[in-house]
Amino acid sequence: MTEALLQAQRISKFFGDRPVLHGINFTARPGQAAVIVGRNGVGKSTLIRVFCGLARPSAGRLLLFGAEPVHLAAAQFRRLGVLLHQTLLYPNLSARENLEFYAEIYALAEPATHAARWLERVGLQRAADEPVSALSRGMEQRLGIARALLADPDLILLDEPFSALDRDGSAMVAGLIREALARRAAVLFTAHTPLEIEGVDLGLFKLESSGLTPLREEPRRRALRSLLRRRL
Amino acid sequence: MKGYLSVTLATTSCLAMLAALFMVFVYVPTEVDQGIVQRIFYFHLPCAWVAFLAFGIVAIAGALYLWLGHKIWDELGYAAAELGMVFCTLVLVTGSIWAKPIWGTWWTWDSRLTTTFILWLLYGGYLLLRAFAGDSDEIARFAAVLGIVGVLDVPVIIISVRLWRTIHPAVLLTRQGEHGLQDPRMVATLLVSLGAFTIMFIWLLWLRLTTLRLRTRVAMLRRNLALLEAGAYR
Amino acid sequence: MAAFLNFSPAGGDQSEGAGRGNPFFRSLLAMLEGFGAIVRKDLRLEVRSGESTVALVSLSILILVVMVLAFGPGGARRAEVAAAALWIALIFAGTLGATRALLAERESGCIRGLLLSPVEPATIYAAKLAVALIFMAEAGVAVLVVLVLFFNLEFGGGLLRLIPVALLGAVGLAALCTLLATISGRVRAGAMLLPVLVVPLFTPALIAGSKASAAVLAGQPLSAVATWLKLLCAFDVLFVAAGYLLFEHVILED
Repeated sequence: MTEALLQAQRISKFFGDRPVLHGINFTARPGQAAVIVGRNGVGKSTLIRVFCGLARPSAGRLLLFGAEPVHLAAAQFRRLGVLLHQTLLYPNLSARENLEFYAEIYALAEPATHAARWLERVGLQRAADEPVSALSRGMEQRLGIARALLADPDLILLDEPFSALDRDGSAMVAGLIREALARRAAVLFTAHTPLEIEGVDLGLFKLESSGLTPLREEPRRRALRSLLRRRL
Repeated sequence: MKGYLSVTLATTSCLAMLAALFMVFVYVPTEVDQGIVQRIFYFHLPCAWVAFLAFGIVAIAGALYLWLGHKIWDELGYAAAELGMVFCTLVLVTGSIWAKPIWGTWWTWDSRLTTTFILWLLYGGYLLLRAFAGDSDEIARFAAVLGIVGVLDVPVIIISVRLWRTIHPAVLLTRQGEHGLQDPRMVATLLVSLGAFTIMFIWLLWLRLTTLRLRTRVAMLRRNLALLEAGAYR
Repeated sequence: MAAFLNFSPAGGDQSEGAGRGNPFFRSLLAMLEGFGAIVRKDLRLEVRSGESTVALVSLSILILVVMVLAFGPGGARRAEVAAAALWIALIFAGTLGATRALLAERESGCIRGLLLSPVEPATIYAAKLAVALIFMAEAGVAVLVVLVLFFNLEFGGGLLRLIPVALLGAVGLAALCTLLATISGRVRAGAMLLPVLVVPLFTPALIAGSKASAAVLAGQPLSAVATWLKLLCAFDVLFVAAGYLLFEHVILED
């Protein structure tokens, strides 16, 4: 029985009196990939923030790597990689400096080499020394993903990773996700519309006010829908 | 059970306060040097005691809230802060009323009054925070931290203010403290008054706490209603 | 809680430090590395934009100018006036500096990046305290320079003796401000609320610091103000420790 990397049990989240999430149950295991879809404003970003331990659930329990985030040993956070709606990048530092900084605080050996390698992987080596404030949204997004995957995390949570990317960027990110799954990480990301990634068994979930429901498709409906979806 | 406790506290508090009032205005002899005005001391000191006690409760409730997470500790801290502010104001006011006929000024910077004034400012900050920022978990935790930091500061404040005043003895006059009470009746009156104020404080704290708990309960019901409307229980 | 109480399990430990030394030593080292990285990053940012330095230094000089104009540059009480000016400038520069040190993380939500990393919140506190202290030192240097210029080097050795006093006071102020500065970003009138919360808490250090500063500027040696210095040290130790332990409760959101 492989250890669950993430476990959400009956999680609710309120902002004041307004319910944003309710009755969320979810488990992420090594090697598992899932996409969560939902219309704008339904709470996908909040869900990601609760799942990565940044926001406390108003009710229910969240277990990250087997422990509640407040009780989790700090070093365990190295196994977590997160992309939020905000880029978490320092606008006045260059792309390279940002990655080097994060490599340092994630205690990676040879942070400069690591940063350079990831800059190449996301195709930013030419813009490496530009301040992040000068990058386009798509480039920032790619850098943010590099930041998330810098330490080769076991649990990867991405909030709308494909939203600002063009065809090449999307293909690159799909490739990174495939690599992560190959080394038995769990990947969970959100999107507006259902997607498919080639070669990946992607679980599909819908987020609504009643909770997180898995969607299963029969083969015929799947064929029909693939005309409307993007294929990556 | 709850009604029982409330009634008991109310009755005991009233009886104790009546006893204290009797002792302060009838039983205890007038003090020779200061005259009738000195009787205010029997209210002034218990108010100060309650003000400091309340602050301690704010801090302990805060620590318990951070540790245990149950909302009731935050409510207790808030209720204690409100009451503490009231009693702290009373200390300063009674202090002024006492000072005017004795020393001729409304305010002196003697060490005890100054310390109480700083405590008053600490309370003020706490309550301002609550007024501006509301009741969310985030703010409750921040308020708890503020309370803890405040209570850690109080001994340092006391020491520093005392050092500050001893270097400038010119304006300082020793005030009538516990050690200056000659008559045993005065001691008795003081003790009864202390007890009465403490019980009254506990009663008021209980009342306020009940109100805050009801408020939390209403908020929870509102949340459930919002959930129903959002179709969460389909 | 504190780094020292958490020994991370051996499983999944990919760092090069695995197996080197005992767990306590390892977490101490990790903490220092994280601390160093954050402080260096903040200083690099500040060197590039210079916003905070300009704001703090100009504010401090302004306060000093106002004090001198109000009280007159000479006179028998100039040591006290200068001491008062220094501490007022420290307080305002201090709250501003600590706020800016912490708020640098507000842009792009970078504080979340730090919270999601293996760096303990307490280490973030220590780093932000150090940066706030550096900002305050800049303000302090500006004030000292202006004191020398305005008061025509009359204080002489007193200015040198002033440095440890001001430093001790700044540490306590930085500790308090960094802990409470999170309120500035969160709450409607937060930036105004911060001095209201900090100043009453800071009064013991303010009393001790301003008394010691006035004495030292009037020509007395440091040994004469030993009691005040001891009080300042106790204050600093108390609030740095309190901040270190309590910071995680104020920095987590939602």
